[in-house]
Amino acid sequence: MNGAWLRAALVLLAVLSASSASAQLNLMGYWNPIFHEDVEERIPGPSMGDYLGLPISDAARLRAETWDASLLTVPEHQCKPHPSTYGFRGVGMLRIWEERDETTQQLVAIHTHIAWQAQHRVIWMDGRPHPSEYDRHTWQGFSTGHFEGDVLVVETTHLKAGWMRRNGLPLSDRATMTDRFYRHGDLLTHVSIVQDPVYLTEPLVKSNGFELVPNGTMDPYPCEIVIEVVRPDGVVPSFLPGQNPFLREFAETHHLPYEATRGGAQTALPEYAEKLR
Amino acid sequence: MTRTTTAMRAALALAFALASLGVSVPAAAQPRGGPPPPPQAPRDAAPFDMTGTWVSIVNEDWRWRMVTPPKGDTTSVQPLNAQGRAAADAWDPATDGSCKAYGAPALLRMPTRLRISWEGADVLKIETDAGKQTRLLRFASAAAAPAAPPSLQGDSRAKWQRSLRRVGGLGPPPPGPPPPGGSLEVTTTNLAPGWLRRNGVPYSERTTLTEYFDEFAAPDGAQWLVVTTIVEDPTYLNGHFVTSSHFRREPNASKWSPKPCRSDP
Repeated sequence: MNGAWLRAALVLLAVLSASSASAQLNLMGYWNPIFHEDVEERIPGPSMGDYLGLPISDAARLRAETWDASLLTVPEHQCKPHPSTYGFRGVGMLRIWEERDETTQQLVAIHTHIAWQAQHRVIWMDGRPHPSEYDRHTWQGFSTGHFEGDVLVVETTHLKAGWMRRNGLPLSDRATMTDRFYRHGDLLTHVSIVQDPVYLTEPLVKSNGFELVPNGTMDPYPCEIVIEVVRPDGVVPSFLPGQNPFLREFAETHHLPYEATRGGAQTALPEYAEKLR
Repeated sequence: MTRTTTAMRAALALAFALASLGVSVPAAAQPRGGPPPPPQAPRDAAPFDMTGTWVSIVNEDWRWRMVTPPKGDTTSVQPLNAQGRAAADAWDPATDGSCKAYGAPALLRMPTRLRISWEGADVLKIETDAGKQTRLLRFASAAAAPAAPPSLQGDSRAKWQRSLRRVGGLGPPPPGPPPPGGSLEVTTTNLAPGWLRRNGVPYSERTTLTEYFDEFAAPDGAQWLVVTTIVEDPTYLNGHFVTSSHFRREPNASKWSPKPCRSDP
């Protein structure tokens, strides 16, 4: 009998120790994005020529200036999801759930799904390495995660060339992202740190919030392609450099200096605000 | 019945017995005999070091933060109610620059540098060069603030939030210290009325401010502080107003440039 209880204690200790080593903070559930920041950018959409505060390179600015919003009417572009670098700032319910090995109950992955354009991301938690740099690039990229205390930290590579902001500011396929999920009660603060050696001069750090929705659910998002604008085959809406007539509209509408709207790391600093006074 | 099965069953029985008795193991293993060690002072117990100089990086809500928005532009304060909009519409542009825009609920949204230091072992001091404001975040062990009328920075109570220990097996978690990391939670009350934006978007004296301070290192080595801010005001807001602001650590205070705000006549 004593032997059985000793073995019982050892088994119990082993089970408890294993659960302690592998358990993580619970982020599971449905989360609604809170649009109390950058609301004009995130719901109706950013204005052309609004690069305020963004640490963009000259190359990014040039690319953005050639962008025509009508590009989104081209059938091949209509159902594009956001890259994972941008999706968490967009619209749509966020669902987070775990994938655990049925036998060992070890955490294999954390999945995130954002309603708009059905952005489904897999964050591998099982210690696997990132694939070869020549592996395929996708909208969501390849993500691995770990916990630092209560904070889920995710590293993402293998992103498809996308956008930093949906007004033409580009993101290259060399971009990487670290994002961090902080839960405080029923609020989730998501912080993203995006690096792009092509289009950013320094890491772009953004943060925004989500609110837990106890009765949340997820609807499908079937995207159907239609002909929105009849145009000859092969025409891709764009502007040649220097010929975009809309670039000053944003500055003029909001009585801002045009130079400020062109962005750059310096425009995010307090001393730039002093310059504007 | 195998030995293993017997042991498993016994383990389950032991676990359920412990759980049904509500037995819990202290978060930290207690030394045998003698009183528990005295609690650490908040300064010594800090899960991360907030002291130093930080600069706000304004790449969100730029046109409402870096410049004074036009009169009546309340777009960026989504939960503002009709009474709040009416108050904002009555704002006098001649008062731009008033210290009312530098109260605790709005202060960390300003383009500013922060200088954070400890004042004793249980009061954290945050100074801003924009508006030359000082906030004192008092931990529970600090002497209570002297009774005072409502003020721009109000009375702030602080506490460290520790990372949670994980629970997942049978019965209570094993003993041991919590994992590293944590946040600073601050609750501020006794606020004088002020502005959420420099163009007079109001908050009232009934406002409660809750903030969470988290720190992290970016892949390039830079240290960042992110502050999640929740403003609740039953007078001017429908529901809470939630923003998060981020600050990058600076190597020194050489760019510290205090500029006072305009006190009301």
